[in-house]
Amino acid sequence: MKKKHISFWCFLAPVLIAYILVQLVPLITGIYYSFTNWNGIKSNVTWIGIKNYVTALKDPTFTSSFIFTLKFTILSLIVLNCFGFGLALLVTRKSKFNNFLRTIFFMPNLIGGLILGFIWQFIFIQVFSSIGSAIHQHWLLGWLSDGNTGLAGLVIIMAWQMSGYLMVIYIASLENIPSELTEAAEIDGASALQKIKNITIPLVRPAFTVSIFLTLSNSFKLYDQNLSLTAGGPANSTEMLAMNIYNTAFQFNLMGVAQAKAVIFFLVVGAISLTQVYFSKKGEVEV
Amino acid sequence: MRKIKKLTALACVLALGTGLFTGCGSSSSSDSKNVTVNIFQFKVEAKAALDKAVKAYEADHKNVTINVETVGGGQDYGAALKTKFASGNEPTIYNIGGPQDTLDWKDKLEDLSNQPWVSKAYTGTLDAVKSDGKLYGMPFDLEGYGFIYNKAIFEKAGIDPSSIKSYDDLEKAVQTLDSQKSQLGIDSVFALPGKETWVTGLHLSNAVLAPELKDGVSAFKAKTIDFEYNGALKKLLDLQIKYAYKPDGTNKSINSVDYSTQVEQKFSLGKVAIIQQGNWIYGTVEGVDKNIAKNMGLLPIPVDGVKDGCIPVGVPMYWAVNKDKDAATKKAAEDFLNWLYTSDKGKQMIIHDFDFIPAFKGYDSSSLQPEDPISKEVLRYSNEKNTIPWVFMGYPTGWGQNQLGADIQKYISGDLSWDQLVQNAKDNWAAARK
Repeated sequence: MKKKHISFWCFLAPVLIAYILVQLVPLITGIYYSFTNWNGIKSNVTWIGIKNYVTALKDPTFTSSFIFTLKFTILSLIVLNCFGFGLALLVTRKSKFNNFLRTIFFMPNLIGGLILGFIWQFIFIQVFSSIGSAIHQHWLLGWLSDGNTGLAGLVIIMAWQMSGYLMVIYIASLENIPSELTEAAEIDGASALQKIKNITIPLVRPAFTVSIFLTLSNSFKLYDQNLSLTAGGPANSTEMLAMNIYNTAFQFNLMGVAQAKAVIFFLVVGAISLTQVYFSKKGEVEV
Repeated sequence: MRKIKKLTALACVLALGTGLFTGCGSSSSSDSKNVTVNIFQFKVEAKAALDKAVKAYEADHKNVTINVETVGGGQDYGAALKTKFASGNEPTIYNIGGPQDTLDWKDKLEDLSNQPWVSKAYTGTLDAVKSDGKLYGMPFDLEGYGFIYNKAIFEKAGIDPSSIKSYDDLEKAVQTLDSQKSQLGIDSVFALPGKETWVTGLHLSNAVLAPELKDGVSAFKAKTIDFEYNGALKKLLDLQIKYAYKPDGTNKSINSVDYSTQVEQKFSLGKVAIIQQGNWIYGTVEGVDKNIAKNMGLLPIPVDGVKDGCIPVGVPMYWAVNKDKDAATKKAAEDFLNWLYTSDKGKQMIIHDFDFIPAFKGYDSSSLQPEDPISKEVLRYSNEKNTIPWVFMGYPTGWGQNQLGADIQKYISGDLSWDQLVQNAKDNWAAARK
């Protein structure tokens, strides 16, 4: 084995140091604090074992946030990937407008989470109700005033923001399909739907792996859009896991319990993501 | 061509390299004379006035530099403050809210018992930040709230506000207003901001828990509550819900009405007659409609079975000084705070720029009276001793907004019975105090 040259480590050092300081050190100190009764301010803490974990698991708001986050993740998984893949198919046909369309579809991704939430909150509450009362469509009024419209709202802004990003990933994968395969299929008389089902989708499997992984982990960890769109309300019905942990930490001042929740969160998301990637990778086809 | 590429590359490296040095600013270590005081405060409405005050102070005290950082919102401030301390950039002056904060931040609070303004503070304003016989905070200002009404609308409907004393009087007046909605040009009588859990869970509940808990410090020590007057709270909520602005006509849409919709969109544009708010809204209303701002009145919140005609008045936040700073910096910080509230220049600014009601004596001259109508009312109730204290300062952390407030939202949308709400409130309080 060739020994790695010192320059290898020199180039890697800045990123490695940043990663260790910003991700690994907080993770390990967080795990330590989850076994103590730290309240965020005092410097001397006492070890209290797994009491925080028991409190976290018995907390009904933790369970309801978990279920809400699961519902949101499944919905956004389906909606986002369908949209992303559909848009990608749309902009990889032979068309003069491809580059222009790709830019337009990607632009929503450039807007940050908080501003996105506030703008859409204005749209859902003010714009929808003005249009709704003008054209007498009752379902447009009162958005974001209960859990269901809150969930729909969150999925809509997630789809609006992330579809462009997923579209880019799918485009990269679509353009790698060798054209001989599609041409051979056309000569054999395959319809468009058959082409998509039997050639495109199997060869785009790696992109599916990546996109599903990204959607899963981003949906589970969502915080800023949640905060600006609904702030977890009303009555904590749209409170997702990240917000539940933040509130436990900073509104109830229970830092130790919040850390325990965070560790549980980390294990769950890690397990789900790793499982998903493992099974997706097994189904990939080598071109 | 290669040369240009090389030069561009070199220029980019230098540009990025200078970025490395921006962190090394001039360290403000205090020499024998110069001190720097960093203020980290929460009142967004006071930011412009505070900057003006700082400039005036620095002009007279050339060796002091004061930096002001403002973080908006109630709970975000607590989190931001913890982060500031954890990062090592501890501010010199910051804010604490009441008994819980005094306990949490004990190790970082300077004892202010010997400050010149202590003797000038109104009785009762300093109890929330006293601990073990020492004083750790300086009151920001006094604030009061109640049912703020639009005087013009009341006149048009023929209602005399001084005749509204009890809950029944209020209900009759509300019914009168509701029957004349179209003539008065209002969408509804009330605007209840269901989204703002502090209005319902902290302020409204205070009106019915103050008689039971007596004051903030006793509330902080109380291990359980009886919630004796929960019936009165239900009546007040039901009245506001029945006659409230409902975006889509259903009760549960009240939960999507926020502070901005209630104060700016509805009240400041004359679309509702009464809102439950306090003297802090003056600046907001004035920015939309000066006329309505000058013609607002304050009605007390009537609680059945309790003395009528009182409004809740209290101190929302306190200034605190960081114990771990060096003596010169601490002295400058304490001097600034004292100057702000007791010097002539400072007093003028407190009244006219900050729009505060001071918690200190010494503001008796006619040029030092509050300008806006609600503050005038609050001061009047205060001087007539018709006030009840703010006990919500002593609620268990998170109980008011995240538990009671959330349950009230469920009650508004019809998902929770009142009896269950009362039971939850009592159980959550007891559990938090264990």
